[in-house]
Amino acid sequence: MKYLGFIQAESVRQASEEMQKGAVLSAGGTDLIGELKDRVLPEHPEKVVSIKGLQELAYIREGSDGLHIGSNTTLRQISDSPAVAARAPAMAEAAYSVATPNIRNTATIGGNICQDIRCWYYRYPDSLGGALKCMRKGGVTCYAIRGENRYHSIFGGEHIHSTPCSSACPAGTDIPTYMAFLRADDWDDAAKTILQYNPMPMITSRICPHLCQDKCNQNLYGDTVNIHGVERSLGDYIMEHAADYYQPPQKETGKTIAVIGAGPGGLTAAYYLRKAGNAVIVYDKMEKAGGVLRYGIPHYRLSKALVDQYVELLQGMGIRFQMGTTVGRDITVDAIKESADAVYFGTGAWKQPVLGLEGEKLTEFGLDFLVEVNTYLQRAIGNDVLVCGGGSVAMDVALTAKRLGAKTVRLACLEQKNEMPAMIEEVIMAEEEGVKLYNGWGLSKVLTDASGKVEGLEVMRCLSVRDPGGRFAPVYDMDEKQVLKADCIILATGQSVDISFLGEKLADQLKSARGLIDADLGSGRTRREGFYAGGDAVTGPNIAIRAIYAGRVSADSINQDLGVTPVPVTVEKPQVTFDILQTKVDTASGLPQRAVAERTLAEEDHSSYDCKTACSEYGRCMDCACYAVNSSDIANMLVAYGATIKTNMRTLTAEEMFTRKTRIADVLRRGEIVEEIVIPYHAEGTIAHYDKYRLRKSIDFAIVSVASVYEMEDGKVKRARIVLGACAPVPHRAWRAERFLEGKELTPDVIEEASQLALYGAVPMAKNAYKIEIAKVMVADSLKR
Amino acid sequence: MKQCTKQYITLQVNGRTYSLTVGDGQNNMPPQETLAHTLRDRLGLTGAKIGCDQGACGCCTVIMNGRAITSCMTFTCDCDGAEITTIEGLADAATGRLSDLQQSFIDHAGYQCGFCTPGVIMSAEALLREKEQPTEEEVREALAGNYCRCGTHYTAVEAVMACVEQRRSAK
Repeated sequence: MKYLGFIQAESVRQASEEMQKGAVLSAGGTDLIGELKDRVLPEHPEKVVSIKGLQELAYIREGSDGLHIGSNTTLRQISDSPAVAARAPAMAEAAYSVATPNIRNTATIGGNICQDIRCWYYRYPDSLGGALKCMRKGGVTCYAIRGENRYHSIFGGEHIHSTPCSSACPAGTDIPTYMAFLRADDWDDAAKTILQYNPMPMITSRICPHLCQDKCNQNLYGDTVNIHGVERSLGDYIMEHAADYYQPPQKETGKTIAVIGAGPGGLTAAYYLRKAGNAVIVYDKMEKAGGVLRYGIPHYRLSKALVDQYVELLQGMGIRFQMGTTVGRDITVDAIKESADAVYFGTGAWKQPVLGLEGEKLTEFGLDFLVEVNTYLQRAIGNDVLVCGGGSVAMDVALTAKRLGAKTVRLACLEQKNEMPAMIEEVIMAEEEGVKLYNGWGLSKVLTDASGKVEGLEVMRCLSVRDPGGRFAPVYDMDEKQVLKADCIILATGQSVDISFLGEKLADQLKSARGLIDADLGSGRTRREGFYAGGDAVTGPNIAIRAIYAGRVSADSINQDLGVTPVPVTVEKPQVTFDILQTKVDTASGLPQRAVAERTLAEEDHSSYDCKTACSEYGRCMDCACYAVNSSDIANMLVAYGATIKTNMRTLTAEEMFTRKTRIADVLRRGEIVEEIVIPYHAEGTIAHYDKYRLRKSIDFAIVSVASVYEMEDGKVKRARIVLGACAPVPHRAWRAERFLEGKELTPDVIEEASQLALYGAVPMAKNAYKIEIAKVMVADSLKR
Repeated sequence: MKQCTKQYITLQVNGRTYSLTVGDGQNNMPPQETLAHTLRDRLGLTGAKIGCDQGACGCCTVIMNGRAITSCMTFTCDCDGAEITTIEGLADAATGRLSDLQQSFIDHAGYQCGFCTPGVIMSAEALLREKEQPTEEEVREALAGNYCRCGTHYTAVEAVMACVEQRRSAK
């Protein structure tokens, strides 16, 4: 065992203080020592503070309100105690069921209820190839989902923290929850869930680089879940039932908010602001709303009909659009502010940056090129087109040029193929359609013929793009140059932000050091009250989902600052579980895609899944959560008895202590120590027992346990408590069975029905369906006494 | 940060007092040391064995303050002032004569390879100290935390019961 400091506490207060300084608490030590030896915890504690010597915490006392048991009382003392045998006999059974006689001589009741789980992945020793950092320890996945799970939960898992897909999504979309609703065929709640994060999944599913997928845990086994494919089906559903999701608010707040910029961020802010009951007016210089969604992204990736439909839905909610209005020229920001309670800037990054290239004036700006083609769907194009840049815009420009009829399209970028900022799917498509890539080349100068017409571009070898710190700092080899022939050069090497529309005074007040709008990324608040901003105008060119996040949090801040309380969306969380068979499918289904020869400028390349494929794809989501079961026998019995737990800080009911959160460490505060357990006396004629099924009668933890308390009156059940142990991440109250039993005589039929109800909602993992049958029999047996 | 609030601890083992200095010095006992290691490596009492080192096999059983405990799952620092008996403490200190319980294990072949036997005997000893005349069922329960991979559980129980019987008739 690694070196540890050791403190023998002389009082609970001292132990608590030491814990607040980072020490771990040891009572009997039988759980902690094992964990320390195997080094299963991600962080080895520096100090142990032991309360073993605090004999004042070792007592069993019959009080007026119940049986009081000090937390340092050993399990042996409890199972031997005549007071426990008389007042709470099932507690003695539970204590006696723990481990071995020798362990029970040391282990305390306080330690037992605070013990860590026994999942073999969680407890996998460091000495055998390294401990596993599973989800419960702050890692990303649960190895039991696709691994050995015969002792794991039959009532689903618990999310300990956000799943990797949700954390990777810049908008924090609760992906596993909408996937879970889909698996339950509850599309409505799935829609409500995603719309809490993103008002336009039908659009993001088509254009987002889906960072969520990169982190999907199916990665460990095969393809990641095709999240954007599923999102697209959900988006389709939302559009089909749009009337349910884009309703005008029930009540008006009387506040008016101006949104400048009708791009993804602005439209998101507008949606959430309007939903909360505010009047919203959106200003944009273009003829139609959508911003980059309409004018930047080609039709073949995102149908403009869909953007139109979406904008119409927003109009239907009562959002007003003031299109064709260039703010700063047609109307000043000050004038807008005068008529509005708050202003949101989502003005994007539309300006061409100056590279300082020789002959730069003879080139075209990629974004302008796309705007033109997206508006008119036609344009004259040269024979030999050269696109510069390695990002998504460059890919869009290259493919658009190709589909416009350019004979050759070449693309030069600094990055090597594997480092290109564009999505790999885009790069593959570009190559499929004949775009020739020149990776690792930097721009040198534009070459012209005698008449001044563009002839080509001289490029120089780029040795590396970023410095070791990851900052953009290209290194060139000036000696290695070549000429790429072209009669048309389009630069898609970035865009910059223009904030001149703010007017000099306001621009000065809001400007960041980089010349962008300075706003807090988590709230959208700028330095000036009443002004909010987000998206590319704040971050520089970035992806739509980040702007969507900014629009959402800014809407929240505006509501908060104006004293508006939005109507909360209530969605009852579904059970955390997964499809046993489908999660084992390692290959993802791609979206149907047109053959290369059939691709056009005007129609989408991809189409949505059919129902069956969507179903098989969301079935692959593992709903990554912790599927380990609670290990404490005592905890089950305390929940059944309705006991209370007194700590040095407060009093908790057993349900609060054991069932509200998965990890006891998340329930207890820093420095909180269990001092006493109080078990209320039960009525005369109560039958209470603790039954435990395991492979060996000694040492083994429960595979299934049942803590039961039946209060009987006149041969009928007056009140029942049934708690299943080792069946779920926390002690599982079988409340359906409890309610059913009340007032009933225990006939064979009633017992059968109750045992079925006790397992209501059980969902086995691949290897533990047997636990359900065992639990049913045990519940039935508990009723036959 | 390395610290230990108590510099010395004392253990009463088999009637002898041992004083141990706790710390990270060369001859000090590190604070995280378990009792099994202290007994074996520091005090030379190698009778208690370390089997699973997880409290599951019972080979490390010793009697502390009257109770059989798994010494591998006990911090020595938690044992300050404790009275401990190990298998070495059962025989007569002056003559070296084995206790009747130990002798009974020999007479009734209560072991095979012998690795788990010190633990088995200490669990039985703790029971007999508490209860002079236990039933066979009680003996089985008391030995539930001692695992014998050779499979001598039955003869171990027989050996304990024979000792109980012997003591009864000697009365």
